[in-house]
Amino acid sequence: MTQEEKIKKDIETTFGELVNVNIQREKRVRVNAPKNMVLPILAYLKQRGFHQFTLLTCVDWINDGEFELVYNLYSLSYNVHVLISTRIKRDTETMPTAINVYEMAFDYEREIHEMFGVVFEGHPRLDEFLLEDWKGIPPMRKDFDTRKYVEEKFGVKDLTKELFTRKEQPYRGPGSNG
Amino acid sequence: MKLFKFSQSRSLWMMHFCTGCGAVELPPTMTSRFDMERFGIMPMATPRQSDLLLITGYLTIKTLKRVVRAYEQMPTPRYVIGFGSCTINGGMYWDSYNVIKKLELYIPVDLYINGCMPRPEAIIDAFLKLREMIAKGEANAWKKYIENYEWYKKNQSEVFDVEKWSVKK
Repeated sequence: MTQEEKIKKDIETTFGELVNVNIQREKRVRVNAPKNMVLPILAYLKQRGFHQFTLLTCVDWINDGEFELVYNLYSLSYNVHVLISTRIKRDTETMPTAINVYEMAFDYEREIHEMFGVVFEGHPRLDEFLLEDWKGIPPMRKDFDTRKYVEEKFGVKDLTKELFTRKEQPYRGPGSNG
Repeated sequence: MKLFKFSQSRSLWMMHFCTGCGAVELPPTMTSRFDMERFGIMPMATPRQSDLLLITGYLTIKTLKRVVRAYEQMPTPRYVIGFGSCTINGGMYWDSYNVIKKLELYIPVDLYINGCMPRPEAIIDAFLKLREMIAKGEANAWKKYIENYEWYKKNQSEVFDVEKWSVKK
């Protein structure tokens, strides 16, 4: 029995029907779990040897009206990645914070709050992180129109035309002939 | 006056604002292989001591605040070289929400170096061109900033809070 199969069996025996585990390929196990099962799974895997919280990412499934949160864990002793994926409703649901299990989640949760607007319950510091003075909807959401925003904000009238067509005289600011 | 311009064009002190990936092209330009010091150009640590500001690569809004502050601290006459296509039209960040597209809307630019990234030969070529322009008295972008100060401040205030980020007297 390979290491991945052992991990799959252990998760399935511990959490039963509630979670869906599959081995995607060598060294990669994916766990699809409901929202309330994520923290127990994280705690279980941490004491089973997954000491590294590699990444927390978010995917915006706008047609389903859902955010998918993916917790990436890695174990140096087994050399296996485990991805724990859960889906929450886009605007109504919140997610409990994972910083009590993995402290590393602190900054990732701040970033996802800023870029997607997901609220992590119990997080002590969900304020401005990478963006400064950001107004409007978070920029990584699928309903954020990047091109329209760029045209309004950066003084570009028609993005594809203005930036990529060659002019006779380059524009050199006010007071020039160009 | 001619002597003044001559000597000025041959002792440029440069501050390279390493904003983006362009900074990797500068160590070979500075060091023995391409050796820009043979043209009298020398890297300098602070904006208050330098004549030339090199914007190497893309500028996010956050960096632009710092660039404007550095630029305003430089003594006149001051020169700006926009380095790489990111300063011209955003380059590969042309539709990014946090990278500015045209540098010349916010600070005046004397010269652009095209390319992604420009090789050290191109940088040296730009330095020679700038030297020529200074000697002829054509590199006057810094005057534009003083004359059209309101216009530049208006553009800057569209992307960030100018009041909060201006140098306090």
